[in-house]
Amino acid sequence: MKKPASGLRTLRAVLWTLVAVAAAGTLYLTYGTGRQQAEAGEAFYAKPFSLVNQDGAAVSEASFLGKPSAWFYGFTHCPDVCPTALAEMSGILEALGPDAEKLQVVFVSVDPERDTPEVMKDYVDYFDARITGLTGNLDQVSAMAKDRYIFFEKVPVEGGDYTMEHQASIQLVTSDGRFFGTLATEEGIDVRLAKVRRLIDQG
Amino acid sequence: MKTLLTTLLLLGPAIPAAAHEFTVGDLYVDHPMIEEAPPNAPVLGGYLSIANRGGSDDRLVAIESAAARKVELHRSSVTDGIARMQQITDGLAVPAGTTVELGDGNHAMFLDPDRRYVAGDEIGATLVFENAGRVDVVFEVEKRSAESAASSHGDHAR
Repeated sequence: MKKPASGLRTLRAVLWTLVAVAAAGTLYLTYGTGRQQAEAGEAFYAKPFSLVNQDGAAVSEASFLGKPSAWFYGFTHCPDVCPTALAEMSGILEALGPDAEKLQVVFVSVDPERDTPEVMKDYVDYFDARITGLTGNLDQVSAMAKDRYIFFEKVPVEGGDYTMEHQASIQLVTSDGRFFGTLATEEGIDVRLAKVRRLIDQG
Repeated sequence: MKTLLTTLLLLGPAIPAAAHEFTVGDLYVDHPMIEEAPPNAPVLGGYLSIANRGGSDDRLVAIESAAARKVELHRSSVTDGIARMQQITDGLAVPAGTTVELGDGNHAMFLDPDRRYVAGDEIGATLVFENAGRVDVVFEVEKRSAESAASSHGDHAR
């Protein structure tokens, strides 16, 4: 009776080792390849940045503290993921009704070379005048995004144009700049609305 | 409901305009549409579906339109939370007996439209197929509503 039990124990130990190896591999792939992941509660939205809004006015991290916020990073030369995300955020603002005042929605361009403040203004106003559009120079945007664990990269396409690969999820942030969670594109609108409501409730 | 469906099926062939379908050979191009974009938007996303009811494979190799500087075929995806877009340079396969969508991760990207297009407008274009040849179609511009976006985009508005 003892033998099979210890055999099982050995098997279990081997399996757990495999699990650990797999987990380590996943961790390496997630963190080791330069792509970082945000930790809930970390106040990385309180880190300094300097950009301009869609009216050309200078803004910094302080401009968005004091109220919960939702941050989306994209670009206007984006035919489906970005306009869909903004249309959905506009839908969430509608669904919040008067509570929409308790949330700031921010769209940061990861393509500041083409997205001037004027371009951003037209763009965000179309979806919802309550959405703030931010741009700047490439260095400013890169530093700001990196501090907030946002990945983006310029990718050339045939014929001299280029496109941007970028983080598709939306980051939710508390009023004091702490990371609260994300809204993922594959989540239903109800799930996202519930998360936003929870963010507003917790401030 | 069944009666309604039957009625629609009977009416269907009588009013092709309502079906918004275009044919070339054995290919049936259904409902080309473009989602309305913000003013001055540099790009418009186009969607449609192609049913190949014939016995031989075909391929959509290009879309041409006087309304844009260029029309490209793209594949866009969100994997591991990263949005990526790739140009489809070898065309979109339309195998015999299947229906293929520009939508569902693929789209036609109209670059630098010649003016602002709003819901209700129509944009003419020519689809170029490897075997079936060229067919003129009309993309209908439709409103992008938060509601339709929220309901995971219906059939081919992605």
